[in-house]
Amino acid sequence: MAMAPVSEALLPELSGDPADDPGGRRQWWSLPDYRRVGIVVGTYAAVLAAFGVVLLLKGTNPISVLDTMLHSTLLNWGAVQQTILRAVPVALAALAVTIPARAGMVNVGGEGQLIMGAVAATGMGLLVGATWPGPLSWLAMALAGMAAGGIWAGIAGLLRTALDANEAVTTLLMNFIANDVMLYLIYQPWKYKGGSGQPESAPLPAVAHLPRLLGSQLNLGVIVAAAAALGVWLLLRRSGWGFGLRIVGGNREAARRAGLPVKQLMVSAMVAGGMLAGLGGMLNFAGLELQLRPDITATFGYVAFLASFLGRNNPPKVVGAAVLFSAIAVSGNAVQLTYGLDGAIVDVLLALIVVAPLALTRSARSAWR
Amino acid sequence: MNGIEQTLIGGVEGGAAILIPALGELVGQRAGVVNLGVEGSMLAGALGAYAMAVATGNTWVGLIGGLAAGAVCGLLHSWLVVRQRADQLASGLVVWFLALGVTSVFGTGYVNDTVTPLPTLSIPLLGRMPFLGPVLFQHDILVYAGFVLVPAIWFVLHRTRLGLALRATGERPEVVAATGGHPALVQVVAVTFGAALGGLGGAQLSVGYVGNWFNDMTSGYGFVAVAVVLFAAWRPFRVLAGALLFGVALAAASVLQAHGVAVNQYLLDAMPYLITLLALITLARKGSSEAPEGLRRALADTG
Repeated sequence: MAMAPVSEALLPELSGDPADDPGGRRQWWSLPDYRRVGIVVGTYAAVLAAFGVVLLLKGTNPISVLDTMLHSTLLNWGAVQQTILRAVPVALAALAVTIPARAGMVNVGGEGQLIMGAVAATGMGLLVGATWPGPLSWLAMALAGMAAGGIWAGIAGLLRTALDANEAVTTLLMNFIANDVMLYLIYQPWKYKGGSGQPESAPLPAVAHLPRLLGSQLNLGVIVAAAAALGVWLLLRRSGWGFGLRIVGGNREAARRAGLPVKQLMVSAMVAGGMLAGLGGMLNFAGLELQLRPDITATFGYVAFLASFLGRNNPPKVVGAAVLFSAIAVSGNAVQLTYGLDGAIVDVLLALIVVAPLALTRSARSAWR
Repeated sequence: MNGIEQTLIGGVEGGAAILIPALGELVGQRAGVVNLGVEGSMLAGALGAYAMAVATGNTWVGLIGGLAAGAVCGLLHSWLVVRQRADQLASGLVVWFLALGVTSVFGTGYVNDTVTPLPTLSIPLLGRMPFLGPVLFQHDILVYAGFVLVPAIWFVLHRTRLGLALRATGERPEVVAATGGHPALVQVVAVTFGAALGGLGGAQLSVGYVGNWFNDMTSGYGFVAVAVVLFAAWRPFRVLAGALLFGVALAAASVLQAHGVAVNQYLLDAMPYLITLLALITLARKGSSEAPEGLRRALADTG
């Protein structure tokens, strides 16, 4: 295929779901390569142009802003490291959406699962971090974070299978509960007395910090996250469990008649997803943040949902989208510093990137005609 | 003024900023479309109203800006969802991020501006009642608008042909289409109307209750509105109850703290979400989930 792999990863909906719309799929794939490439390039040129218009309206030079964004992410080793560090929680929370999606479930709760993972890791880190040797503390924090995230998502999974409560809704609600739990802890019981009076937990003891890699800003968490992502990909592709999830996601009734433990599979998908997000929250805390603060997740969980969506629930593409979104978020800092624009301007670019492929899926998939 | 009265006043004022968007969300969901972008509509509406009020020096004109800005977000969401068949949840989040970015960028210039906030209108006679007067009848116009919208939306949904077409679209769009209706059009109109109400709710924050603009000022009110619709099982009068419950819970903490009661605000904040969760579970348990059929299909659709 002539198309660059990265652009393919960025075009989630174009091929659509064959069962949903055979016509649309044929249309896209029957196009000659040069036209497909043209459409992809044209779409993203349009995205950049639309973003440029926003920049122009703010009286800045779009070319120089985009140049700054590029230099502050891809072309600068320090910023590349920032992007990778940011991508750790986003990618894991995105995979937390992907696994349940394989079983036909919608997990909007990445945000809450990240928070609960960070909260549990903080609790464990403050409990044992000062006394246990580093590696033991890391392990304890990781297990605590995964347990908390897994339980948080598992509750939604159980509510779905046992009581038929929609998991998209319950996970969304539980995000806010998780956030309130965290705020409660850092405003009162865990509040750092020696701090500046800001609501934050005591800092994680230095021995419990995840170690840096070879003098870079990157830490052990990057390797753990990469390994986890690889593991998820293999499990979904190669294991009986991953196969079972796909059957359940494809046709629940058929899966039940074939003797698959449908409910267990559904709950296990939610728990596995929650564990990943919980791990992401823990790695972000013990590797980067080192203190529990109110905006520790800063909507990573929702960005992750969009990454999973853009990556069409395909693990390598999902991780690619998470890295892209992280780079965009990191570039916001440079834009803010250099041009005095609010850093949130890059959210516009993020949204446009997700909208673009949606805007391309024309009437073949359209509603009732 | 005692603490209970203060809490209830704050609950009604802040509750209106949840009630109006929640009623809008209810209309959209009844037509079968979930709009998580209501948070974006609220942000856009809050800034739209504020900017229009600054530009024209007239807060009433500002309300039109709020409605329009909210509606634009709704148009985008309904285009993506209805015409392009996008995933509803993802599309809503996209609209939210878009609004968050755009309002942060264009709102920065308004942070230090001031507007004349919406005037407090005291209803004659009723407003002078002890206790009930200040709680219910001494508010800005949008609070009353919210109260009037509750029966109005109930009436339209349940007693008119338009409402029937809308609810039918939410349940079985293909049947509506087969009988010569236009479900896609109904959905676009319902979602856009709902998002316009979202924008009005944002205006209640920026030019009403808070009287100021700052970036990301809605801080989750739109998601609360979605939660209220679920809590209310898609019934307008229960939306009123839910919005007041959330509003009072949000107002109670600061009042309690001002009176020196050691209560943690965040535990209190979590209560309405817990109650909503419990309400959902009990509803699901009764086996008579009242969710519109099309909505359930949309939420289960992962693409």
